[in-house]
Amino acid sequence: MSVINAVTCPICGCLCDDIEVTVVNNEVVKIKNGCAVCEAKYLGYNSEHRIRKPLMRKDGKLVPVSMDEAIHKAGEILANANYPILYGWSSTNCEAQRVGVELAEEVGGVLDNTAVVCHGPSLLGTQEVGIPTSTLGQIRHRADVIIYWGCDPWSAHPRHLERYTSFTEGRFEDSEWKSYVNKVKAAAGMKKLLSAQRREEPKKVHDTAAESVDFNKPPETLQKEGRKLIVVDVRKSMSAEMADYFIQIQPNKDYELMQAMRALVRDEELDVDQVAGVPVKYLREVVDLLVNCNFGVIFFGMGLTHSAGKFRNIEVAISLTRDLNMRTKFLIMPMRGHFNVSGANIVFAWQSGYPFGVDFSLGYPRYNPGETTSMDVLLRGESDAALVIASDPGATFPKRAVQNLVKHPLIVIDPHMNATAMLGDVVFPSAFVGIEVEGTAYRMDNVPLPLKKVVEPPEGVLSDEEILKKILREVRLIKSQKTKQKTEAA
Amino acid sequence: MIILTPLKKFQFPIQAENINPDVFQGKSVKEIASLPVWEGNKQKKLDGLFKIEETPAETPNITIKGDASEVRRVGQGMKTGEIVINGNAGMHLGEKMTGGKITVNGNASGWTGSSMKKGLIEIHGDASDYLASPYRGSTEGMRGGKIIVDGNVGSDSGCYLRGGIIIIKGNSGPFLGFHISKGAIYVEKNAGPRLGANMTGGKIVVSGVVEDLMPTFTVDSVKGKVKIDDTLKVEGPFYVFLGDLAETGNGKLYVSKSNNSHLSRYEKFL
Amino acid sequence: MTEMLIKNGFVFDPLNGINGEKMDIAIKNGKIVESVNEHKAKIIDATGLTVMPGGVDIHTHIAGAEVNTGRMIRPEDHIKDVVRKTALTRSGTGYSVPSTFVTGYRYSKMGYTTVMNPSMAPLGAKHTHEELNDIPLLDKATFPLIGDWWFVLEYLQKGDLEGCARHVAWMMETTKGYAIKIVNPGGLESWGFGRNVHTIDDVVPNFGITPREIICGLAKVNKMLNLPHSIHLHTNNLGIPGNYVSTLETMKALESVATDGRPVGHITHLQFSSFAGDSWGNMKSAAEEISKYINNHNHMTFDMGQVIFTDTTTMTADGPFEFTLYQLSGHKWVNSDVETETSGGIIPMHYKRKSAVNAIQWSIGLELALLIKDPWKMFMTTDHPNAGPFFKYPKIIAWLTSRKARVATLKKCHKKAQKKSLLPSIKRELSLYELAIVTRAGQAKALGLKNKGHLGVGADADVAIYNINPETLDIAKKYKTARRAVGNAAYTIKDGKVVVKDGEVVQQVDGKTMWLDVETSEEMKVDEEMKRKFRQYWTVEYENYPVFDHYVKVSDAITVKASV
Repeated sequence: MSVINAVTCPICGCLCDDIEVTVVNNEVVKIKNGCAVCEAKYLGYNSEHRIRKPLMRKDGKLVPVSMDEAIHKAGEILANANYPILYGWSSTNCEAQRVGVELAEEVGGVLDNTAVVCHGPSLLGTQEVGIPTSTLGQIRHRADVIIYWGCDPWSAHPRHLERYTSFTEGRFEDSEWKSYVNKVKAAAGMKKLLSAQRREEPKKVHDTAAESVDFNKPPETLQKEGRKLIVVDVRKSMSAEMADYFIQIQPNKDYELMQAMRALVRDEELDVDQVAGVPVKYLREVVDLLVNCNFGVIFFGMGLTHSAGKFRNIEVAISLTRDLNMRTKFLIMPMRGHFNVSGANIVFAWQSGYPFGVDFSLGYPRYNPGETTSMDVLLRGESDAALVIASDPGATFPKRAVQNLVKHPLIVIDPHMNATAMLGDVVFPSAFVGIEVEGTAYRMDNVPLPLKKVVEPPEGVLSDEEILKKILREVRLIKSQKTKQKTEAA
Repeated sequence: MIILTPLKKFQFPIQAENINPDVFQGKSVKEIASLPVWEGNKQKKLDGLFKIEETPAETPNITIKGDASEVRRVGQGMKTGEIVINGNAGMHLGEKMTGGKITVNGNASGWTGSSMKKGLIEIHGDASDYLASPYRGSTEGMRGGKIIVDGNVGSDSGCYLRGGIIIIKGNSGPFLGFHISKGAIYVEKNAGPRLGANMTGGKIVVSGVVEDLMPTFTVDSVKGKVKIDDTLKVEGPFYVFLGDLAETGNGKLYVSKSNNSHLSRYEKFL
Repeated sequence: MTEMLIKNGFVFDPLNGINGEKMDIAIKNGKIVESVNEHKAKIIDATGLTVMPGGVDIHTHIAGAEVNTGRMIRPEDHIKDVVRKTALTRSGTGYSVPSTFVTGYRYSKMGYTTVMNPSMAPLGAKHTHEELNDIPLLDKATFPLIGDWWFVLEYLQKGDLEGCARHVAWMMETTKGYAIKIVNPGGLESWGFGRNVHTIDDVVPNFGITPREIICGLAKVNKMLNLPHSIHLHTNNLGIPGNYVSTLETMKALESVATDGRPVGHITHLQFSSFAGDSWGNMKSAAEEISKYINNHNHMTFDMGQVIFTDTTTMTADGPFEFTLYQLSGHKWVNSDVETETSGGIIPMHYKRKSAVNAIQWSIGLELALLIKDPWKMFMTTDHPNAGPFFKYPKIIAWLTSRKARVATLKKCHKKAQKKSLLPSIKRELSLYELAIVTRAGQAKALGLKNKGHLGVGADADVAIYNINPETLDIAKKYKTARRAVGNAAYTIKDGKVVVKDGEVVQQVDGKTMWLDVETSEEMKVDEEMKRKFRQYWTVEYENYPVFDHYVKVSDAITVKASV
C-alpha cells in the first residue's frame, strides 16, 4: 500500500493539488481531501466502458486490430485529407497538446479545442477588451466582495469556495464559513418552524408563492461585515442558496444588466425603473457596494457564454470590471471547466499565436472563429476527416455537426468507449492523464501544475502523447513516400 | 470581362483573393488561368476550379456564375473595377476594399465589406454576420463607402463603424452598430436586440420595430425626418435617443414612433 | 564534422581587445579553440566580412504567462505577419509578440545566440520554461520576480539579510532562474489593493518596508550570494513625467552597497525612467541629468529600452503603470496579479512620430546611449516588445552608428519633439567595436556569462558573421546597407554549427536554458512550518511549486558558491 500526497486532481478547472491518494495493488482505494467528483473519478475510472485494444471499423463493426494497423490507417486518413479537423485536447496533458499542434501543422488541418463549446466566448471577449484578472490566491487573501455570475460552483467546481474564495482564510480577509453555517442553521430552524405551523393547521392552504423564491429583495444583507457573496443567476441554484445576496435575472438579459451597471458606475441617470427584472434602485445600492469595497471579483460561467450575446456578454462583464478599477480594485475570472482546457489554449497560443480554432491549411496559422472553428466547419460540411481526442463531440455537438463528423473518416483517442468513439472508424485506447500518466496542466487562472502518475495503465494502453507521436511519424512517412512517387513519376 | 463558373460544388474552403479586378488587370486569359487559389490545404490553379471565359464586354470586369458560397476573399482590397456574383457569395467579400463595385445576386456570407474604406457593395439577398465589421481584436471598422442589403443582415454588423453608410432593407440581427463612432446605418424593417450598444457617435435609424431598447439610452427629442446621406432622407416621426451612457456616448438612435408604441413610456421625459 | 575554421574575417571581440583585426577563429566541439586542422575542418570564408561573437540580449520578454496572454489577446497583430512552415522550420506568427518558434528564428537571423527573459512570476515558472524549450537556436535564461515577494519583504523588514539570502538561493534554484528581478519595488504589492508607491521612501501598506530598503536589501543579498549578474531593476515611477528624480535617488541609494568595484545594480529600459517635466504637456528628456550621473559613477549598468515607431504591445510586471497606460489610451487592457509574488499588465501601444511624447521618448533612448560615454555601461534593447519588436534592432543600430540616420528620422517627428531633442547637437557615432560592446560583449559581461559575448579560447562557439566590410563600407554614411546587413546575418553559428546562412535558417538546434544552482553553506530549512506557511500564502502545495528537472529540455546548471 502506498499513500501519495500532493496529487493534482484531473477533473475541473480548480485543479486542486492537495489530494491524498491511497493505492493498493495498482488500484486506487481511497481519496482524501477530494470533492465528490474527484472521488468518483479516482475510484471509478477503470469501468467497463474502458477500451483496452485499438479498434477499426470493418464491415460496419468496430473490431480489435494491432496498434500498427490502426496507426497506419490513422496516418493514411490524415495524410490524404484536404481539410481535416483535430479536435478536443482539453482532458489531456500539455505534452500531448504540443504534439497535436505539430500534427495539425503537418497535415494542414484545423486545430480546435473544447473552448469552442465552452469558454471560447470568454477568449473572444478578452481579445476585444483585455481582462483585469489575477491568480486565485489574490482572491483568497484580499477579496471582500465575491460575485458568481451565471455559474454554480457548488455543483460544478465544488471546492472553489473553500479553497479560493468565501470560505477560506486569507492574509487580509477571513473565512465566511462560520457565518454561512449560522445562516443555514437559522434557515433550517425557520423551515422547521414553518413546517410545524403547517402541521398545526392542515386545512389552511399554504401560500407557496410567498414561501417560494423572492424576486429580488432589497440588498440589506450586503450591509454585513466580512466577505460578501453575491450570486447572479436565472434560477436559485445551490450556490445562490449560500449567497448573502441573490440577484435573479431574466434569462438572456445579462448584457443589459451589466451595461446598466456600467452606466451607474459612471454616475449616469437611467430612464428605466428596472433592468432584466432587477429594480434600478436596488442595482444602485449594489453598485455602491462594489464601488466602495476593498477588492471585488466576478467569476462567470456558461450563464454568460451560452446565453444571448455570447462573447459580448463577457466583453461587457470585463468592461464593467475595468470601469470599476477607476474607483477600486476589481478583477474577473472565467470558471474554466475541463482540467486542462486552459492548457490547450495556452499551448496553442505560444506555438501558433492563437488559442483555438487554428487553421493550418495554408501552411501558416490562421484564426477566425466562425470561419476556422471546428463546430462551424462541421456545420457547413467542409471537413473530410477528423481526429478527436480527450473530448466527446459526439455527445456535445449539435446534430448536423455530428452527422458531418461521422460522414467522413473519424479517428478517436480516448480511454472510454464514449459517444464519439462509438461513431469512430479508428479508435485508440489511451491512458488517463493525472492517474496513469504524468504531465502538466494549467488551472483556470493559468497556473501550471504537475499531474502525477499514481497507478500503471492497463497492458498495451499508451498515453495520448505516445499515440499522437506514432501517428505523426506515420503521416510523415506516408507523405514522403507520396512525394517520392511523384518525383519518380515526373 | 472574365466569366468564372465553378466546375463543381465546392466542399472545401476556397481562398481566392486573386479573384480581383486589380489582379486580373493587364493579364491574358492564360495568365489568369494560372493564378494560384487554395482548395482546402491544396494549392491549385484558377482553371482547376473554374471554367474561365472572356467576353468583349467592358464591365463588369469579373462575373462569377453559380454558387460561390465557399469562395472566400473575392475582391479583397480591390481599388477599382466591378465584380458581379450571380449566386451566393463567400466570406470576406470586398474586405478592406478601397474602390470599385461588387454586386451579389444572391446571399452574402460573413465579414462582407469588413473594414472597407471606399466603394460600393450591393447585396440583393441576405447578408450574414459581421457585415462591414473588423477582424477579431481590431477596432478598425468600415471607414467609408456604401453597403446596401435588400434582405436581412445577421448579428454584429456595422461594428466600430467610423464612416460610410449601411442601408438594410430587411431586418437586422443583434448588436447592429456596436461601438459605432461615426457614419450612418438605416434599417427599413425591424432591428434586433442590443441595437447600438457601446455607441459613441454616428447615427442608426430604424423605421420598423425596436423590441428591446438598451437601458443605457436616454430619450432626447422627437424628429420629423432624418438624413442618412445626400441621396436618402427618411420620413419619421422618430424618437431620438442618445447613448450609450455606459460609454458616455453621443450616438443617436432614431426609432420610428408609429411602429414602437411600447416606447411611448419615454415620452414623459420629453 | 566537429571542427570549423572561420577564415580571414574582420574580428571584433571587445572582451579580448580585438578591434577589426583580420584573423581566423577556430572551433572544435562547440567551443572556440586555439587552432584546428585546416584540412579536416569545415571552412567558412569570411573574407571581407565582419565577425563578432553571437548577439546577447539582456532583456526581452519572450516567454511565460504574460507574454502568452499578450499573444492570445492580439489576433489582429498576428494576422499581418505570418510565417509559413518549411521543411526545416515550424510555422507561426508575429508581429509584436511572435510565437515561440518564430522568436528563435528571427533572433538567429540577426546573429543573436543568447537571450534573457527578464520577467518570470515564480508561481508560473514552469510555463516560462515550457515556452523557452520551444524557442530554437538560442541559449536562454530567465529572471524570477522577487522584489515584492512576501517572504522577501518579511525578511528584509526584520533585517534578516542572511535568512533572506538563503531563501532567495532556494528560490533561484527552485524556479531555475538566473538573476534577481525587481519591478517597481513595493508598488506591485500595493497594487494588490489598487495602490502604488510614488517615492522610494513610501511605506508599503501592510508590510512596513520601503522601496529603498527592498532595493538595497536585495542588492546586498545579491552580493552575499555571489550571483553572476547584479540585481536587475525596473524603477519606481516608470513612465511618469518627472520620474528622473526617483531614478537618481535609486542610483544614489545603491552607492553604499558597491564596495569592490563590481556593479551592484542594472537599471533596465532606462529611457522609460528618464523623463523630466511634470505633466504630459511639458514632458521632456532628462537624459542630460541622468547621463551626467552615470558618467561619474561606476556601480551600475543599464540598457536602453529604445522606442521604435510602430504598433507594438507593452507588457510588464508593473501592474499600476499598465493601468495608467489604459487610462491614457483606452486600449484593451490586461491585468494579471500573481498571489504573494508580483503583478502584471499588458496593453497595445502605437508609438507615432507625430505624437510629441512618443517622439521625445524615441529621442531619450538615443540621447542616453550617446551621452553615456562608456559603452560598457549602456546596452541596446527595446525591452521587447514594450518599446518595439526585437527584429527592428537593425534600425537602432543604424541610429547609434549613423548621425545621418538619426537626422532622417528626427525630421519626420512632431515639431515639439524636434525642438526639444538633444540629438541635433550630438555628433557621436558608435564604431563597430563599440557596437559589438553594446550588443554582445557588454551585455555578456554584465550578466556574468563567462563563455558568451567573446571569441576567446574556451568561449561557446556562438558567432555572428555580417556582410559588412569595414574597409569599404562606411556604416555611418551607408546606414541602409548596414541595417540590411545586421538584419540578415551572412552566417549565424551556434555551438559550432551553422544555423543561419544569408538570413535563412539552415539547421535546427535546441539551445540550452542556463540557471543558477546556488550553494549556500547552510541549506534553507524546508520543514513542516515552512510547508504550512507555504500553504497559507499560496494556493498550491509546496511539493508542486518547483520547476522539476524534466521541465528544462536542455539544462545548463551554473554552480554558484554563496558567501552565506
